[in-house]
Amino acid sequence: MGGRSCAVMAAAAGRVFRLCRRWGAGPRAQMLRLIYTTTAVQRKNVGASGPEKYTEAFIKKQIEEFNLGKRHLANMMGEDPETFTQEDIDRAIAYLFPSGLFDEQARPMMKHPREIFPEQRKIQWGEDGRPFHFLFYTGKQSYYSLMHETYEKLLNVEKYQDQLIAQDLPLQKEKRNLAGSRWLTKIELEEMLLEKLSDDDYSRFIQLLQKLTDLPCSDIEEKYIQKFSKELPVQMQKVVIEPLQYDEQGVAFSTGEGRRKTARATAVVYDNGTGKMTVNGKDILHYFPVLQDREQLLFPFQFLGRIGKHDAVCTVSGGGRSAQAGAIRLACAKALRSFVTEKEVEFMRQAGLLTVDPRVKERKKPGQEGARRKFTWKKR
Amino acid sequence: MAAPSVAGLGRRLRAWVPRLMQVRWSRYNPSYLEPEVNKELYQKPLEELTEEEKEQMDLKAVRPIKAAPPTLSSSVFSDPMISKFTNMMMRDGNKVLARSLMTQTLEAIKRKQLEKYHKAPENEKETIECNPHVIFHQALKNCQPIIGLSNITKGGKTYQVPVPLKDNRKRFLAMKWLITECRENKHRRTLMPEKLSQELLLAFKNEGPVIKRKHALHKMAEANRAYAHFRWQ
Repeated sequence: MGGRSCAVMAAAAGRVFRLCRRWGAGPRAQMLRLIYTTTAVQRKNVGASGPEKYTEAFIKKQIEEFNLGKRHLANMMGEDPETFTQEDIDRAIAYLFPSGLFDEQARPMMKHPREIFPEQRKIQWGEDGRPFHFLFYTGKQSYYSLMHETYEKLLNVEKYQDQLIAQDLPLQKEKRNLAGSRWLTKIELEEMLLEKLSDDDYSRFIQLLQKLTDLPCSDIEEKYIQKFSKELPVQMQKVVIEPLQYDEQGVAFSTGEGRRKTARATAVVYDNGTGKMTVNGKDILHYFPVLQDREQLLFPFQFLGRIGKHDAVCTVSGGGRSAQAGAIRLACAKALRSFVTEKEVEFMRQAGLLTVDPRVKERKKPGQEGARRKFTWKKR
Repeated sequence: MAAPSVAGLGRRLRAWVPRLMQVRWSRYNPSYLEPEVNKELYQKPLEELTEEEKEQMDLKAVRPIKAAPPTLSSSVFSDPMISKFTNMMMRDGNKVLARSLMTQTLEAIKRKQLEKYHKAPENEKETIECNPHVIFHQALKNCQPIIGLSNITKGGKTYQVPVPLKDNRKRFLAMKWLITECRENKHRRTLMPEKLSQELLLAFKNEGPVIKRKHALHKMAEANRAYAHFRWQ
């Protein structure tokens, strides 16, 4: 029972290694083990690159094996096979096959075959060799048929517009909120069409879509356009603001962490204060003799108009003078989020106070003196 | 050349690595927008905003924003023009020195103007400008050239063709001329703040060597008017 389930699991895990023919030059040459690498991981669109590698029947069999293996795994872990989700599978595999490999894609995994074997296009021609699609010989049949379809919609909209003009009716234009959505990326479009696209093709398609949306009466083709656009989430929704904490005297306070280059800082901002700020036990006037650094520390408070109202106790380590100031600024801004309304948090974000500065020292490259500076050019 | 180092810190900082190695690139993803520090713009009520501003607001709500640089602050004392000038004056990354020179220059301007103010008769007191920031901005504006020359090679020969300049380029040239003028054409013992304040006050009144240089450039452009059509080859 145990041996069989292991074998099933191993098969359903879909990770076996390819033995190339040329390695086994001697007596081993007769052994050929068929293997499948996880192409989902490599994100290559196998779509139309060759004849069908995985038949329908094969994939069906893989799915059956996967489901069976899932139930066996659930049994082994002592959980209910009916409510065994993918996350449970991942946890179980990580427990049973612990791997120290750094690359997460190289570790043993057990996923649904649809995620492992990429979607393949079925054979495009019948038994007599005649292709099904009329644009087959263009080489990019899905792409061109998509372009044809979109252009047809465009002509439709223009015809509708002409009708409205002929009847002297006003052309409506309810503004579509363009800021809230984006077009599909090239990779997503490739996955949709199961065909490789070039950058030029992609940009031509997006231009055509843009032209369609810019027409006044494009609302009639709204459903078609929505197939190719995705909602952009509002940035603010991603962040969770912690509630205020209260210490023994009943004074509200809040903590924040910040970093800049190699400096790491934590700040505790207290309410009902007089505007005193302490860094590593010293007053900011002593710790930061340079005016620019003190300006940076007070920036979040000045922006919100709360200069004399809060006390701050900060600790910082690492980095240089300016990096420490930047780290404390970020820490204070994050701590102030709990004291302030959501609108003001959004204003802080738009002022650049809540973003971690990703700029770090650029590495020195070989063959150059520094990151950018090259060695003195000598003619001889 | 080797790709930017994102090995250890890259994934943590989620910095953006371009697909093809570019010469001018930044750690930010191209979708990041510039931060807006001005407090007044945020306090405007919704009705006063124009269509463009509303669209901008919508865009900003969805896109990530870059971190504000250390030179930028919402206080009344931080001026982007003065920061730019300070950076151009800076040598070997010594920002502390450059900033102190700048503050000393503004102080010197204020002192000189106050001296003039107290010595002037009553009716002229209003015409004397004492605010050093106003003097600085006006002087820079007066120094900006309108038209510049660019080298265009045609038929083997290089011609100096008059060409309109962009705003950034004008500001850069004005600041560069001021700084080079102050570094080179002075007596060995005079310090930078004194010389700079002198030059700024002269430029404010449309006199002085920097203004002369600007006029010389305009004259050259006027002289080479015949080649203006080379701009469109």
